[in-house]
Amino acid sequence: MEVSTIVERISQKIEQKGVQADRKKIESKIRRLIEEFGVNPAEAERTVMNEVAREHSITPSGGSRSTDLLEIGTLVPGEWVSVQGKVVSLSNPPSPSIAQSGIIADSSGAIRFVVWSSANAPRMEQGKWYRLESAVVDSYKGMPNLKMHSGTTIVGVDSDAILLPSISPIADLKPGVGSIRAKMVQEWEPSHERMLQTGLLGDESGTIKFTIWKDEPEKEKLAPDTVYNIYYGQVDEFNGRLSLNLNTAVYIADEGDIEVGAGDVAKGVIVHIAPGSGLIKRCPVEGCNRTLSRQNYCPIHEIQQKFRYDLRLKAVLDDGTRSRNILLQRDLVEQLSGITLDEAIELAENNPLGMDEVFYRLRDATMGRYIACRGSEMDGRILARQCEKLTFDPAKLADLLNRAGGA
Amino acid sequence: MAERKGAGPRHREGFEREPARRVFAAELREVNLQFKDGEDEKSPSYILLPTGIRANRIFFIGTLTEKERRGDQNIFYHARISDPTGTFFVIAGSYQPEAMQQLAKIEPPAFVAVVGKPNVYQSPSGAVLVSIRAESIVTVDADTRNCWVMDTAKSTLDRLDQFGSTEDSEKAKAHYNTDPEVYRKMAYDALTQLKI
Repeated sequence: MEVSTIVERISQKIEQKGVQADRKKIESKIRRLIEEFGVNPAEAERTVMNEVAREHSITPSGGSRSTDLLEIGTLVPGEWVSVQGKVVSLSNPPSPSIAQSGIIADSSGAIRFVVWSSANAPRMEQGKWYRLESAVVDSYKGMPNLKMHSGTTIVGVDSDAILLPSISPIADLKPGVGSIRAKMVQEWEPSHERMLQTGLLGDESGTIKFTIWKDEPEKEKLAPDTVYNIYYGQVDEFNGRLSLNLNTAVYIADEGDIEVGAGDVAKGVIVHIAPGSGLIKRCPVEGCNRTLSRQNYCPIHEIQQKFRYDLRLKAVLDDGTRSRNILLQRDLVEQLSGITLDEAIELAENNPLGMDEVFYRLRDATMGRYIACRGSEMDGRILARQCEKLTFDPAKLADLLNRAGGA
Repeated sequence: MAERKGAGPRHREGFEREPARRVFAAELREVNLQFKDGEDEKSPSYILLPTGIRANRIFFIGTLTEKERRGDQNIFYHARISDPTGTFFVIAGSYQPEAMQQLAKIEPPAFVAVVGKPNVYQSPSGAVLVSIRAESIVTVDADTRNCWVMDTAKSTLDRLDQFGSTEDSEKAKAHYNTDPEVYRKMAYDALTQLKI
């Protein structure tokens, strides 16, 4: 009789953790300890409970570890925590030693998680709620990360709580997980063959680079000039710049329009035109688009006989106190210099100096000019989205005269 | 090695190009102090402006009034460029091939924009002069010239507003015994010439 109550107690405990109990096996273990080895019942219960818990990688409750639930939005690296949340995203584990990775969220926020393969944890499903006990928060590539190891208990929870991700302005994003409402303002040529799409998303507060990687199953691409609600993107930091990985995100096209914030504004004089400006040749290989050297050599695809012409300007903009690198793409170069791509190609093909002639013309048309550029800064260079020539403003002259003569 | 890396508070992370200071010819004419920031051969060299800022590079726009080709083995160009307050002396030699070729093509008179590095030197007669080794010279229109006069007046007034509160301006005050009113008037006079 006593044995059956012990078996029932152990079975219930582990079933609470979401593990199916094998009552026969537990009973035979208890009997063996008590009857064969003369262990007292309390000690036998403790021993078998620990054994079964280890077998199923669950933590015996009632230990010294805290099971107080914390809010996901408040987690900081270096803590042992227990949380309850909804798995809002699952992604392909980057390594075989990781069983599952994804994002778990509650109403206070969201965090990226990984479950180690060695944890032997039950698999979690997207869209379901779980209680995670004794997980560890650490920091991976500057992002807080929740790790599930062999000591973590994962229990499915019934919850139909509605989870509303909190949308934040782009300017307030930090490394980790973020949700935004933004417009796709630019699409760039993918710089890597594994990249599905990359470009720039913007809202009133600023812009951020986004990337969608080719994955199984294939993600949808974003449409240009369309506003999206983007939930649970992964915000990465590299060289001090943030970017948004959309592979973990859910994105839903939205009605309406957003006035995209200007980003950084830089005003000043063009004091230097860097080599690599002017008429350039780009690699024709799908998705490459790298600049070819003089001998039509692509660093990846070697010699390319066919190529695509493009115009660009790499310059230094100087306001007298600071100099900044700027990069202007074809449309802005045409607008600023008054030389179109077609004219530049013709110049290069019919001139003894070839492409150098285009460089000189562009230099003479832009050096020493006052301009204002708007764009986003990346790797210490402003990628200009808008550009305008500044002209003499008599109203400002009056102000300055007052300032100079007012003393 | 490790020590040189952290040499002084002006070294920010990574390389940052020196800004091109805006200065009127009348102020540049007064400069007679040039110094190096650091012991290294490659350390940047600065001139100290009387209004209290160091300059490793300057940007100005003026009227090219004269150019002269000199030398036979080592050809260089000498040019005079005037702004509303005075004249800049510009040289472009074989070490500045780009500027030399640009200057060769420009016929005075013309508005030109110049980026270059100032140098203080002593003439055989003992006078201390400042000349600018041009990095680039291009022709610009009158509107751009007017922008520069305003920009330079504003920069000069900004420096005067900060005069006495920065390390460089303390140094300038001690070295040049600068009277801020002189430079305020210079900026004012330059601006009045824009009203046509």
